[in-house]
Amino acid sequence: MIGTDPPDDHAIATHALCKRYGREPALDRVDLRVPEGEVYVLLGVNGAGKSTLFRMLMNLERPDSGRAEVFGRDTRRDGPMVRAQVGYVPERQDAPHRSMTCGRLLQHVATFYPAWDDAYAAHLVRSLEIPTGKRIGELSKGETRRLQLVLALAHRPALLLLDEPTDGLDPVIRRRALALLAEHLADAPTTVLISTHHIHEIESLAGYVGILREGRLVAQAPRDELQRTVRSYQMEVPDGWEIPAELQVSRRSRSSAGRLARCTLVGEEREVIRRLGVTGARVRQVSALTLEEAALAYLPGDPS
Amino acid sequence: MLVTLDPRDDRPLYLQIVDQVRRALLVGTLRAGEPLPSVRELAAELVVNPRTVSQAYRELEGEGVICVRRGQGTFVAPTIHPERRQRRALVRGVAERALTDAGRNGLGVEELVAMIRKVAREGRGSAGTGRVRSAEEEGAA
Repeated sequence: MIGTDPPDDHAIATHALCKRYGREPALDRVDLRVPEGEVYVLLGVNGAGKSTLFRMLMNLERPDSGRAEVFGRDTRRDGPMVRAQVGYVPERQDAPHRSMTCGRLLQHVATFYPAWDDAYAAHLVRSLEIPTGKRIGELSKGETRRLQLVLALAHRPALLLLDEPTDGLDPVIRRRALALLAEHLADAPTTVLISTHHIHEIESLAGYVGILREGRLVAQAPRDELQRTVRSYQMEVPDGWEIPAELQVSRRSRSSAGRLARCTLVGEEREVIRRLGVTGARVRQVSALTLEEAALAYLPGDPS
Repeated sequence: MLVTLDPRDDRPLYLQIVDQVRRALLVGTLRAGEPLPSVRELAAELVVNPRTVSQAYRELEGEGVICVRRGQGTFVAPTIHPERRQRRALVRGVAERALTDAGRNGLGVEELVAMIRKVAREGRGSAGTGRVRSAEEEGAA
């Protein structure tokens, strides 16, 4: 695992958070650290534990062991105080108030938040084309998502928890939603934890990246560090050569043709080349990866 | 001003923005005294954290390339001479990238320099004439 604790204050800190469903571990000793004011992108395939983690931060689920803090408050003990500071877009879509219209729901939710900004809410409703006259129960998947975004943003919370926020949005609206998010961050200091399995959409927004794999946080690092330390190496290798274990990102990260091998390896480039040299491999070419490619190297089934 | 980020570029995003502003000054799409987009506007356009744009603008301000006028916005410095310092900074960036790439492929500095001269002599475009725009295109190719 790369990355160390950043020196900043953390908006979110979890400590050895564990959760099991039956025998399956959903979260396994997760130490998430989201620095204040950062956009932290949480990656992982479906079922990796992303949504479980979000629900725990919202105190909608209890951990089996470990604990979570949001702005230094325990999410179990101070659940309501934590939730008041959070804008949450859940992954699941089963909204209550199905017979209420969108416009009515917006008015209703506004009363819960002293910081609700009517003018801003109206701006978001226009930009995200919310059908205010339509009933909640009749909304499409994309419309529900857009409405949830308005509800999460309009009270300008200190923390946004966005679980797959662009799921079900068409490309034009998706781009607009992300631009709105960038503007939102410019207007008020906000920490964002955002999960996705489409990292390419939001990689330019990400300051930090965390990768969940089968309930474990296998990487957590500033984006620049992740992109700098995960690279693709092409080399000539001796017979029977094995990748040095300490350089491996994940197990299935090698393809070879005869004496040529290509691997995605982790470490500072100079040091990686030195260590490969010790094993008899001669590096021919090193290529930088996109953030998405670097992140994918940590996930199962990576073909490279 | 057109800024585009390259996802394959592994330098920090703010440095990519700094570079593109320098480049815009050199190729003339941005001129002395002209306004720059606000942090908010550029962040929304590029879908980056506004902090990233602020960091880029701070760096450019520190170099005297741009200046922030309170309440009015951000402008290219009125006395900027892109032909000197900016050009040097840009050439340096191109050289660093070429050297990194050469190093990764096991090539030496002299080998690289010799080949650049040879390719230029063989008339690949007008890279050898020193026109900024052409040098840029060569660099990008």
